[in-house]
Amino acid sequence: MVNLSRLALAVGLVAAALPAAAEEVPMLRVFTYDSFATEWGPGPALKAGFEEDCDCIVEFTTADDAISTLRRVQLEGETTEADLVVGLDTAIAGEARATGLFAPHGLELDHLDLPYPWTDPLFVPFDYGYFAYVYNTEELPDPPASFEELIALPDDFKIVIQDPRSSTPGLGHVLWIEAAYGDRSSEIWEGLAPHVLTVTRGWSEAYNLFLSGEADMVLSYTTSPAYHAIAEDDDRYAAASFEEGHVAQIEVAGILASSDKQALARDFLAYLTSVEAQKIIPTTNWMYPVIDLEDELPAAFAELPKPETVLSIDEEAITANSRDWAAAALAALR
Amino acid sequence: MPPSANLNLPSRPLRLLGGAGIAIGIAAVVALVFWSIIVAAADEPVSARSPVDIPHLLRMTSIQAGLTTILSIAVGIALAWALNRLRFPGRSLVVGLFAAAIVTPGLVVAFGLLSVWGRAGWASQLAILLTGEPLGVSIFGLGGILAAHVILDGALAARILLARLDAIPAARLKTGQSLELSPWQRFRIIDWPAISGTIPGLAALIFLLAFTSFPIVLLLGGGPANQTLEVAIYAAVRLDFDLYGAVLLALVQVTVCAAIVLAASALTPVPPSLGPSQGQKWGDRGAAHLLQWSVLLLALAAFALPLLSVLINGFGEALWSVVARQSFWQATGTSLLLATLSAALALVLALGVAQARAATARPLLRTGIGAPSYAYLAVPSVVLALGFFLLVRSFGINPAHAAPFVVVLANALLALPFAVATLAPPFDAISHSRGRLIRSLGISGRRQFLSVEWPLVAPEAGVVVALSFCFSLGDLGVISLFGTQDFTTLPLLMVRSLGSYRTNDAAAIAALMLVLTLLAFVLLPRLFSRFADARP
Repeated sequence: MVNLSRLALAVGLVAAALPAAAEEVPMLRVFTYDSFATEWGPGPALKAGFEEDCDCIVEFTTADDAISTLRRVQLEGETTEADLVVGLDTAIAGEARATGLFAPHGLELDHLDLPYPWTDPLFVPFDYGYFAYVYNTEELPDPPASFEELIALPDDFKIVIQDPRSSTPGLGHVLWIEAAYGDRSSEIWEGLAPHVLTVTRGWSEAYNLFLSGEADMVLSYTTSPAYHAIAEDDDRYAAASFEEGHVAQIEVAGILASSDKQALARDFLAYLTSVEAQKIIPTTNWMYPVIDLEDELPAAFAELPKPETVLSIDEEAITANSRDWAAAALAALR
Repeated sequence: MPPSANLNLPSRPLRLLGGAGIAIGIAAVVALVFWSIIVAAADEPVSARSPVDIPHLLRMTSIQAGLTTILSIAVGIALAWALNRLRFPGRSLVVGLFAAAIVTPGLVVAFGLLSVWGRAGWASQLAILLTGEPLGVSIFGLGGILAAHVILDGALAARILLARLDAIPAARLKTGQSLELSPWQRFRIIDWPAISGTIPGLAALIFLLAFTSFPIVLLLGGGPANQTLEVAIYAAVRLDFDLYGAVLLALVQVTVCAAIVLAASALTPVPPSLGPSQGQKWGDRGAAHLLQWSVLLLALAAFALPLLSVLINGFGEALWSVVARQSFWQATGTSLLLATLSAALALVLALGVAQARAATARPLLRTGIGAPSYAYLAVPSVVLALGFFLLVRSFGINPAHAAPFVVVLANALLALPFAVATLAPPFDAISHSRGRLIRSLGISGRRQFLSVEWPLVAPEAGVVVALSFCFSLGDLGVISLFGTQDFTTLPLLMVRSLGSYRTNDAAAIAALMLVLTLLAFVLLPRLFSRFADARP
């Protein structure tokens, strides 16, 4: 009971101390998704790094995932306390842009090294990866090299994917097939249907099912094997390269127009694309940095094969059609 | 008949007011939640609606929930029958294990089920060892959903029905024994009348649990063919940001659930009775005895193996690194604090509702006071989360500061249906048997509670506290939109570990949560029984 009351006291003190601190030192409030700000994510190191020079305090407020982050900003509108949103991605950037809640970043981003040149005036990229199926090389020495090869495998070859309505990789998967096959997408989805073990709500349930041996492949990122190689010293995992090419997920950050700390927010975004911050990204968010780190990029990342063809869909087309594409994909699986 | 004319019941206007206040309060919270979402929806541009086939969803959800109900009741009757007859060392531990089924987090059960019945699971490995072929059964799809639900709800049914069987008066059994009834005759003539009254209410409760089930359906459903309304509501809020659509779907779900709640509350209430069970000395022999042992062993294998696998997967190397982290102890402290507070709140609310229901004989008033307690079973948690979030904001409060209070309230409401179902029957029984005496002695309401009611209901109160405590401990609940990094609970920590590739950490946390749940579920009711015994 002593611990509990001490905890209650601590909670109370923290709550009471927050507004007081805000008056002395400016507070930069960052909306982000949960795993970005956890003790294992890039959040704590980025916070410490930026606070060294900014004479400010960075506070993270989190939602489950990228989509919830955008939803919360939409719900709060101009009354939001947040200054920045970190962790939207290219699949929902169009929707975020249409809300009119974001302000131009005004940064020169010529130094970036991305799958395609970056010209977006509102959003600043901070990491990226390619959607891909991850597999265990010991169990599956000869992975399929295209969607068509995957479909041709016997029905007991199973994949786990995520629901496009609740998960960013799930939506990315829909966009990938759309970008690769266009009008033939529904045919691909129908072909995939017998191989789909289950459709999970989020990435983590799917990845856990794969790791516990329930499925042969899981929809994840080309960078996932780097986690196992670096954090677990386990190089059995690999991402299957598909002949059709892969779609990139570029994670972005944006300044909210309602923020009264535009300059500070801009500084944070500039810091986010600096070498110092980008060095943190690979081994915390397990994605590629957006600048060329040369020798500073961990070897496990440098050794990952990059897709030969990078597919993409225009933002307007995504915003206009992604719901219909997701509905069509789910209908094919039904 | 107006209550003042009822000479069997003492007049307790304060109790009625309190109960009515709680009922109206809960109904108001639910109404405010819907209202705040509708207001927010009005501010949003009408976005593209993804087509939702409501009749199809209702049909699929009803089939799944109906099958779950039938199977769970059947399994529950068989298991209760076996447990009632069999005597063996450790029986009360086994009974306690089944009682804890309902509070075990659904996702933990689902992953436990997978590590037993999945493609790489124990059963399949055993099959490879014996026959060289893997087990050709898939745990995904409707079968998997039903299996997980029956494990959880069948065990609940068994525990409730066992309490009815154990309460059969000894005289009745003696008569039966002297008439040399066969096991079948004994079931038909003695057992069935004792349990048949409980079955409709129990069936309604299980139907509701299955109808609104969420994590199990998503994980084991196998795809969009098996979905509940709750999943569609989640998608409407999250991906489509179609708030009107979400409210519409939620209202459909609330209507269906309310119809079931009202129908069930017109029938006999279900007393969960999860305390220690007495058992009896008249055992069956021969084939029936063998059948009882097989039923028990099968049920133990089905229920205990998945939980055992959670423990085995969790108690590995990762356990030490988890236990060594400060964040783990912080989350444990927060979880225990929240669980304690929401258990206390649930107990107070349930006492208020149960006392008020017992203080009147008017059926309409009794239903009116009791029905809102079931709100949380009917209102989807994503809708509650969104509504609470909007409400808190409209009061000008920072959601991060409000998070602990909202979690306590939400968790108390989550446990309330079970708490009311546990406490209402004993209060009713007391006012039936002693109402006239209390009235004629002119005992005050306070004395009535302290001297008459509390000593009798304390064991049930212990069960209520244990239930609410464990529900709260395992709940991921409503704070998804509220979150800050300073506020972490154990289930949240588990999900975060999963989201950061740390599956071993997540397994360790799941195992620790399970141990904590079982411990709380065994210890808390004993603590309260001791309280009650210590009184003169």
